[in-house]
Amino acid sequence: MHDFGVVWGQRGLLFSGLANTVVLSVVSAVCALALGALLAPLLMARAKAPAFAARSFVDAMRCTPFLLFAYIVYYGLPSLGINFDNWQAGLAALVLYNTAYMAEILRGAWAVQPVQPIEAAHAFGFSGFRLFRRIVLPPLLLSAGPVLGNQTIQIVKDSAFLTIIALPELTHAASSIQSRFYVPFAAFISAVLLYWLLCLVVEAGVAAVGRMAEARR
Amino acid sequence: MRRESPPPSAEAALLSLGNISKSFGALKVLDDISFNVARGETVCLLGPSGSGKSTLLRCINWLERPDAGRVLLDGQPIGVSSGGVVMGDRELSLLRTRIGMVFQHFALWPHLTVLQNVMEAPLHVQKRPKAEVRDEAEALLQRVGLLQKKDVFPARLSGGQKQRVGIARALAMKPALLLFDEPTSALDPELVGEVLAVMRDLARDGMTMVVVTHEMAFAREAASRIVFLDKGSIVETGPPEAFFSAPSTERARQFLLRYASAPTAAAAAIVNA
Amino acid sequence: MSWGDVVAILQGAVTTLTLSAIGILLGLPIGLGLALIRWSRLPLASPLVAVYVSLLRATPLVTLLLLLFFALPNVGIPVGPIEAGVISLTMNTSAFNCEVWRAALMDFPKDQLEAAQSMGMRRGLRFRRIVLPQLVKVSLPGLINEMSLLIKVTPVLAVVGVVDVTRAAVRIGAESYEPLPPFFVAIAIYLPIVFALVSLQRFVERRHAGGAFA
Repeated sequence: MHDFGVVWGQRGLLFSGLANTVVLSVVSAVCALALGALLAPLLMARAKAPAFAARSFVDAMRCTPFLLFAYIVYYGLPSLGINFDNWQAGLAALVLYNTAYMAEILRGAWAVQPVQPIEAAHAFGFSGFRLFRRIVLPPLLLSAGPVLGNQTIQIVKDSAFLTIIALPELTHAASSIQSRFYVPFAAFISAVLLYWLLCLVVEAGVAAVGRMAEARR
Repeated sequence: MRRESPPPSAEAALLSLGNISKSFGALKVLDDISFNVARGETVCLLGPSGSGKSTLLRCINWLERPDAGRVLLDGQPIGVSSGGVVMGDRELSLLRTRIGMVFQHFALWPHLTVLQNVMEAPLHVQKRPKAEVRDEAEALLQRVGLLQKKDVFPARLSGGQKQRVGIARALAMKPALLLFDEPTSALDPELVGEVLAVMRDLARDGMTMVVVTHEMAFAREAASRIVFLDKGSIVETGPPEAFFSAPSTERARQFLLRYASAPTAAAAAIVNA
Repeated sequence: MSWGDVVAILQGAVTTLTLSAIGILLGLPIGLGLALIRWSRLPLASPLVAVYVSLLRATPLVTLLLLLFFALPNVGIPVGPIEAGVISLTMNTSAFNCEVWRAALMDFPKDQLEAAQSMGMRRGLRFRRIVLPQLVKVSLPGLINEMSLLIKVTPVLAVVGVVDVTRAAVRIGAESYEPLPPFFVAIAIYLPIVFALVSLQRFVERRHAGGAFA
């Protein structure tokens, strides 16, 4: 398999693409989760205006193809005066898009949380941010673990779309190796195997979270 | 009312089990079990939990595959042909049409109505004409007292009603032999009686039945023979009167002390009916 | 943006919808077939399918599409952008559908099957009359979800040159130096379609909220 030898020779480029994919995915996932955690309460708010605005945003993102959204962020925003380079556009698109999904996931997980432990915390004098960080958030994250893991995998795969705005992530790297050395099968299969590896890492993380959740069930 | 019968020979028997053994991993659940059931007999398999009763029952129609031994229905081998070849799905299915089974958790098909449940197998397995199958199905539902529920879905029925439909469904195949796997164990106590009543009538009408049950009053009243199992072997067998009033083995005595002290109210009601 | 441009985008939409429909229609039975292989635990086939499904679920669609588009002609199978698009869409969605079908199969109550077995129903009959009707009902929300996801990834076809909604919008935007309006038209086309599917999924979920296999 001489072709794979060629790809191995270009492994620097491939691995730097992989690194970019990892950075993009991790940063986007964390930011989206943080922003989603801020958006989720709005989704469940009793006041009609913020709830409606949040719901509309989430539904709009849920019904929009990510690739189109990425195009809009990259090509469209300059006409509004906002000039992003491809990294900033890629990150912005990933974060904005997935904030909606993270908010929806957290809302769903919140809906099935038992209310007594939180009432008890109130009775013990917990309130505000401390209540949120120590009593509300941990069980929420534990129970939403698998779904959050799935969404992270989705983010990894969506990051591949950013090849269209010439972001040097993994698929882009494979693509350029392919076009320079005419080794399409080897180049893209290598990329596929690396994506698979990333996916297995995320799933191992989810399994670890799952074990933590089980121990506390 | 019920005939007390001595165990038949293998040739005369409708059902013959010979040297049945089965293990699940390291655990030996059935250890070299042999017995025969004559036409028209009602045999009750009794024993403590873990004695292998259900596994033995399920070996009869090869829902469990015995590790050793043979099963003969009316002289015909089930599961392993006379040439020693394990039967495939088709051959096994053909033989299974002659054995009916009633399950502990009813196992009705939820996407079909009561009538459709009863008609399903005669129609699609035995390929009998629809009008004939419908008439018989309605007659069977009438017999178990549920004709008025024929167009209802199983989810709307009580446990006792579901089990009676299960019995009608098994009868619709016109089986030579009926197997009951703890038919009332999943029922609320007040619903047990209606099912046992149907079973008692079947026994009276001469149906050949093998019943795994914990209902001692029913076994005492309706069985023609008791087979008592413990830890995978037959410990004692005999007519119910003899077994319940004067068991010959110590293990049977222990079992009866623990289980047969208080018959359920429903079972007592049938006994006195 | 002129009306001619809008028409061009709508024509792209027809392409998008047609290819999506093909992917969905092929992906449903193929996914079921894969799930059945896994469920039956055939010695060689089942682990192979497991690996195949795991790989496909981890692979971004754009990567798969580029792989097929460039690599297949290299090994002697000539594929144009549309064929590569359909094949990659189908492979992708069938892998996800497989997991939906498989979850339902694993949940299927064993005793209903045993009852069917005990009455002499053979394998094919058991599957057709007892398993499949209920399987479809239980799998429906997950399958509809997959359909909406498939439609949302169809813009990827533009990457290999299929003239779908996205490519039409990009071209018009590039020609007119006004990239935003055609994109908004494109979104206006996608939004209602996906929204309809998501609403359908919610509707089906509510209707069967009362327990899956009863």
